[in-house]
Amino acid sequence: MGHPYIPNTREIREQMLREIGVASVDELFADIPAKIRLRRKLKLPGQMSELEVTRHVHAILARNRPFTKMLSFMGGGVWPHQIPSHVKELVRRSEFLTSYTPYQPEVSQGMLQALFEYQSMICELTGMDVANSSMYDWSTSLGEAALMCSRVTGRRKFIVPALIDPERFSTLRNYVSGPDLELIKISYDKGTGQLDISQLRKELGDDVAGVYVENPSYLGFLETQVDEVANAAHKAGAIFVVGVNPISLGLLKAPGDYGADIVIGEGQPLGNPVSFGGPLLGVFACRDEVKLVRQMPGRLIGMTTALDGKTRGYAMVLQTREQHIRRERATSSICSNEALCAVTAAVYLASFGPRGLRELGEACAANASYAMRKLRTLRGLKVPIFDAPHFNEFTVGYDDIGMSLAKLNAGLLKRDIHGGKPLRGEFPELGEAALMCVTELHTKDDIDRLINALGEILG
Amino acid sequence: MREGLSYSKDHEWVKLEGKLARVGVTDYAQHKLGDVVYVELPDVGKSALQLKEKKSKEMELGTVESIKAVSAVYSPLSGSVKEVNPALNERPELVNTSPYDEGWICLLEPSDPHVEIKNLMLANEYAEFLKSLK
Amino acid sequence: MMTNYRQARWASDSLLEPLAFELGKPGRSGYTLPPKLHEQLKIPKNLLREKLELPELSEVEVVRHYTHLSQMNYGVDSGFYPLGSCTMKYNPKICEELACLEEVECIHPHQDEETVQGALELMYKLERFLAEIAGVDRVCLHPSAGAHGEFVAMLLTRAYHKFKGDVSRNQVIVPDSAHGTNPASAAMAGYEIVTVPSDGRGRVDLKALEAAASEHTAALMLTNPNTVGLFEDKILKIAEVIHGAGGLLFYDGANLNGILGEARPGDMGFDIVHFNLHKTFSTPHGGGGPGAGPIGVKDELEKFLPVPVIEYEEKHKRYHLNYDRPHSIGKVKAFYGNFRVLVKAYAYILLMGAEGLSEVAEAAVLNANYIMRKLSNVRGYELKFDSIGSCKHEVVFSVDPLKKETGICAKDVAKRLLDFGMYAPTYYFPPIVSEALMIEPTECEPKEELDRFVEALKEIAGEARSNPEKLRSAPTSTAIGRLDEVKASREPILSWRMYRRQAGR
Repeated sequence: MGHPYIPNTREIREQMLREIGVASVDELFADIPAKIRLRRKLKLPGQMSELEVTRHVHAILARNRPFTKMLSFMGGGVWPHQIPSHVKELVRRSEFLTSYTPYQPEVSQGMLQALFEYQSMICELTGMDVANSSMYDWSTSLGEAALMCSRVTGRRKFIVPALIDPERFSTLRNYVSGPDLELIKISYDKGTGQLDISQLRKELGDDVAGVYVENPSYLGFLETQVDEVANAAHKAGAIFVVGVNPISLGLLKAPGDYGADIVIGEGQPLGNPVSFGGPLLGVFACRDEVKLVRQMPGRLIGMTTALDGKTRGYAMVLQTREQHIRRERATSSICSNEALCAVTAAVYLASFGPRGLRELGEACAANASYAMRKLRTLRGLKVPIFDAPHFNEFTVGYDDIGMSLAKLNAGLLKRDIHGGKPLRGEFPELGEAALMCVTELHTKDDIDRLINALGEILG
Repeated sequence: MREGLSYSKDHEWVKLEGKLARVGVTDYAQHKLGDVVYVELPDVGKSALQLKEKKSKEMELGTVESIKAVSAVYSPLSGSVKEVNPALNERPELVNTSPYDEGWICLLEPSDPHVEIKNLMLANEYAEFLKSLK
Repeated sequence: MMTNYRQARWASDSLLEPLAFELGKPGRSGYTLPPKLHEQLKIPKNLLREKLELPELSEVEVVRHYTHLSQMNYGVDSGFYPLGSCTMKYNPKICEELACLEEVECIHPHQDEETVQGALELMYKLERFLAEIAGVDRVCLHPSAGAHGEFVAMLLTRAYHKFKGDVSRNQVIVPDSAHGTNPASAAMAGYEIVTVPSDGRGRVDLKALEAAASEHTAALMLTNPNTVGLFEDKILKIAEVIHGAGGLLFYDGANLNGILGEARPGDMGFDIVHFNLHKTFSTPHGGGGPGAGPIGVKDELEKFLPVPVIEYEEKHKRYHLNYDRPHSIGKVKAFYGNFRVLVKAYAYILLMGAEGLSEVAEAAVLNANYIMRKLSNVRGYELKFDSIGSCKHEVVFSVDPLKKETGICAKDVAKRLLDFGMYAPTYYFPPIVSEALMIEPTECEPKEELDRFVEALKEIAGEARSNPEKLRSAPTSTAIGRLDEVKASREPILSWRMYRRQAGR
């Protein structure tokens, strides 16, 4: 009996062999040296029916506790939001899902236009003119941005804030290790978290390729001095790179409006599920300046016409930057990216529109503000650690609660509440602290429930 | 091709104009590339070495791009770039339509033209060379 | 012969489906939000946005718009998709269903390990499946795509040589037939690329390789079967040469579908192996991603793998994320890999099982050889290499004879194929075959469709002789005809705002 995914049964295969005059399939593998020819079965489970696989996978996954079945305050690089059902339906349409890179634009206008729309919407959010059709995630976008800054300016130093997400920093280090660029960390004000501008100015020599800030920062506060950072960077001839969570951009100003030249970030919250941290969606956008656009990594979809000169259509453009043409001189090796996640983001953004995104941003910020206010009523908590405006994430200091954070989080988990990410491992100078995330998913009751639970545990 | 010019094996042409030398790519090169969409012009002041058997980065004077290929422009003479053709920024297609005139790429100040020019081909030699490529 | 394929075409005047920005009306919305708390937000005015220009569409309009776009697209589910080196095989729907479970989509990477044991177990087991399939010792599931996996492999290579105190190794050898991502990834990691030519048999030129290998060689990147679909039968000698020079062997797993269960890269001598889950392991390509590009290594490279690695504690029967890896290269992206994609690959391996995966390679290789033999009899197309032997899962033909005869080139043939309701093979790749058509049918293609494909190419060759203009104006059955790609690159319009600016609106 034929396998459902292999239409040519043994009989048909035998017929095919006869038609082409080959004695057996084995003959087709005869050029594999005997020494390495595998003569045993792979040590893998035997073939399973759909039913058996379903049961098997369900059984394994039953040992996962979805955060939707508890009250969760986790964020820190990937954030849970409500995904409208129609968004999920549309991107599962098999003409999108089972297609590949639109090398034949004539038959792939759907994907091409959807990606052009994604690029366009990212530009509107970030204040940039050009956005590529996706990178792997925020951290690899950052790595590529640093490389791009170095290529454009010919310089070898890249400046980042000391409070950068440590995982992003580690990825960045790997990316700049190729050309061996130097990374410099700028410290922050202990009270407000804000970037130390005077230290930045000291470091800004004519050897700095780019300056990077995250806004909101990894720890949730806003960098209020971004105009000054932009000016300082530009005066020194450096490129200003800003990293964002695009969900914030319905409410917050576009980085392009405060001087950013390149904007990167994590597009996952735009309609993509958290999925244990993958797949994600690397946002990458820049100003329409020839020297920047030509050094941009990733795929770019452009608008054009059919050869009739009239009918509007879309195609991949400026491919001479990419690996399939430039090979070792390419701006990046990236080929497959996160295209379907990008289309998902486009559908999500088209559904929310400007008002929806603003309301969403306000909801996240308002809920977080309420949470911070209520948390402050609990003895021993420092909320937030930094005296600065925040978006929807904030730090909570637990140094004075008289118990370890681990014990506190365990107590919360027993009550079906998942606390924020412990930060001591990443930033020991903050002491016993955690990063909390609040979104539109949280209700007033949810937050009150957290407060009550904490109250009980802290005694 | 054009009389009065000298040609390199990489299909660049050069014309001595007093103390300077004008550089471009040949008709064969533009035809092979297809529609030129972009020319990356060298920086004024950049120095380059004459193209030898083994290509190297020091011999490059920018690139010419079509939608499916990128070709480096190699310097037919050693020297430094005095001027680049600004028209190519707006109209890269001049390389296709007028490779020997309006599509010129840059003006060099050659360091040793009278010696180095002996390494290049004359028009009829280039014509023979092209025949041999088929 | 079926040429009555007509792709959906939503159009009015010279516009196909309008852009989302051109649809909708102010005030329309496609979302709902629960009521908001009233809090005074203390965000400084200089950071608040004043205006955002996005479309305002109702849900109805959003659904129709993207449905229209999907209808003007083509996937494996639409028809034959013989894109060489991409392994466009059928994506089982049960895998999609499993990947949409709440236990997959709604778990957070920072969750207490006790609450995600299922995810860790699935990933751990997938690592071991892949290790067995490739003949390696340890697998890392972090890389998001093939090129990403190649880049990570190059970082591991550098860490390995640095650990041994060997700092003179600054070159990576790449065959001239290699996929562009290979040299690009190695260059990103700071290596100088040394290209070796292919010989008259379409394989790596061994003499050239011996000459290129030296104390500067960090690694050789090789695909096997290679990009012309031929098995590098001298692989054991190749391994000897590179290892003898002190370099590592990296396996580009793009073509693993041609040898699944028949041979293993680890047994051939490869030290680092990469996998494309969106190719060999049937996770959907998504129009360009998300995919996954895990890498597998032999023991001596294990210590350098990115963090965290997944460990299993027998005593407590617990899975655990281990960050305590002093020689690790660190992070190569956020978190642990494209989990939702990994679930699909895991399910696929179970659905096929050991015997099924072997059958995959047998059927895929037979399908490619069937096309090879049948197409060899069609005048106009020729095999450049080894027409007597066999190919593996893909075959590369050259349209040179047809071009010499009629002036019709590979691109014209490919565009006309679209009118037959088939996707075109990869063309102009690999660079070592002129007018190349790279055909990979995969094991999922029924014999009738292979016959139809060969018939179509035969008919196209005939059209090239009798009516070449038909080919030059193809395709005509798709939503749009050929596009002015020159104009697109000369005057790039890359976003709605660039479009408005250019049009003066």
